[in-house]
Amino acid sequence: MSTEKCLAEGSPAPGPVPQDRLRLYSMRFCPFAQRTRLVLHAKGIKFDTINIHLKQKPGWFLEKNPDGLVPVIETPAGEVVCESHITSEYLDEVYPEKKLLPATPFGRAEQKMLLEHFSKIIPNFFKISSAKRKGDDASGFEAELKEKFTKLNERLVKRKTSFFGGDTITLIDYMMWPFFERLEMFGAQRCLDHTPELKKWTERMLEDPAVKATIHSTDHHKAFFKSYQDGEPDYDYGL
Amino acid sequence: MPTEKCFAKGSSAPGPVPKDRLRLYSMRFCPFAQRTRLVLNSKGIKYDTINIHLKEKPDWFLEKNPLGLVPALETPAGEIIYESPITCEYLDEAYPEKKLLPSSPFGKAQQRMMLEHFSKTIPYFYKIPAARRNGEDVSGQEAELKEKFAKLNEHLEKKKTKFFEGDTVTMIDYMMWPFFERIEVLELKHCLDHTPELKKWAELMLEDPAVKNTMFSGETYKAFYQSVAEGKPDYDLEL
Repeated sequence: MSTEKCLAEGSPAPGPVPQDRLRLYSMRFCPFAQRTRLVLHAKGIKFDTINIHLKQKPGWFLEKNPDGLVPVIETPAGEVVCESHITSEYLDEVYPEKKLLPATPFGRAEQKMLLEHFSKIIPNFFKISSAKRKGDDASGFEAELKEKFTKLNERLVKRKTSFFGGDTITLIDYMMWPFFERLEMFGAQRCLDHTPELKKWTERMLEDPAVKATIHSTDHHKAFFKSYQDGEPDYDYGL
Repeated sequence: MPTEKCFAKGSSAPGPVPKDRLRLYSMRFCPFAQRTRLVLNSKGIKYDTINIHLKEKPDWFLEKNPLGLVPALETPAGEIIYESPITCEYLDEAYPEKKLLPSSPFGKAQQRMMLEHFSKTIPYFYKIPAARRNGEDVSGQEAELKEKFAKLNEHLEKKKTKFFEGDTVTMIDYMMWPFFERIEVLELKHCLDHTPELKKWAELMLEDPAVKNTMFSGETYKAFYQSVAEGKPDYDLEL
């Protein structure tokens, strides 16, 4: 009997992964795990989810992934793949239908370079939300984020494409999306004010079926994030 | 006329990359650039090198690569690839002879996960020498590094292979090597005292042709690091 409720320390280990599917270890509100969920949905891959209580991790989970982080993919053969970007590339390589990465080596390198750039932006979101929570002045961090958004906007303007890798969604769009889904949660939505192409990109992403399948409302994100900032994350919020 | 001397601010931009080769932007003593040089050498790829003065970067270089980092590759088509892991994967995909990455998606995922883990070890190679220069007590950090080396040693023990993912050199060996090449000069060799398999691996790596073609002696590194500590890195040392 499957449940979305998270499994904590003391829970029995799940059995092996059934032959016809993958298993995803996740947390419903984790932006990094959402990357993997987006790829799984976009490619139509059959998978089960086990959500993990990230403050009371089950011993059996730490045996599979000593780092204890989500997302993790487990195959029927018991192979374990960790790290959001590594799981995403793995899925795209194993399941050749609906390729999310370009076929050329340079096309793939471009996606990886853009992900590297975006990884440097991620801490900014948390700096803004932290500052606002403490009642500090977040304007410096907001200015930094606005500058980085301007660079992303420029890329879209230069390429003249609807998405970051072309006119259809590719992997990089999914890798970036979860943080834009949470912009209001972070208190950073004003940072999009002067980046019209980037705004349009978010609107297009909201139309994507995989995004629709994995999205949480801003209210849900805010409720979870508050519980997380308060030190008692409610991983099962809304269930 | 090719020169190994580094190009600084004010130097003229090089012309386009000749059709039959790649160009590597590098710095002779950079461990990250050495990763790319190891892959280029190992795969027998034809390339020219332009070394960059990393404290006075040429404007033409910043135009090609706004982040201004080495290593960076430029193709005859003018495509620029940067970040050492991205350049290495690009080369392995674009030049199919002498594959350094396994063909299976899970094998590739394992290599990427190992690199991710090793990336957490790299800061110690910088932090510990810097702390020592400041007269700080480094025993805690050295203990942490020893623990990380113990994990690597365990991996080799369990797998019973000469190299990290088999009995021949693969990508992950080259990605890790440059830091071990510098271990004696960084006064961290004693951290290998209780990791005999890792020591054996290092000795085997010293026999590898690509390592022999790209390495520098301990004395050369010592002189270079001395120049860095004095605030005037001598990128053209011994030329």
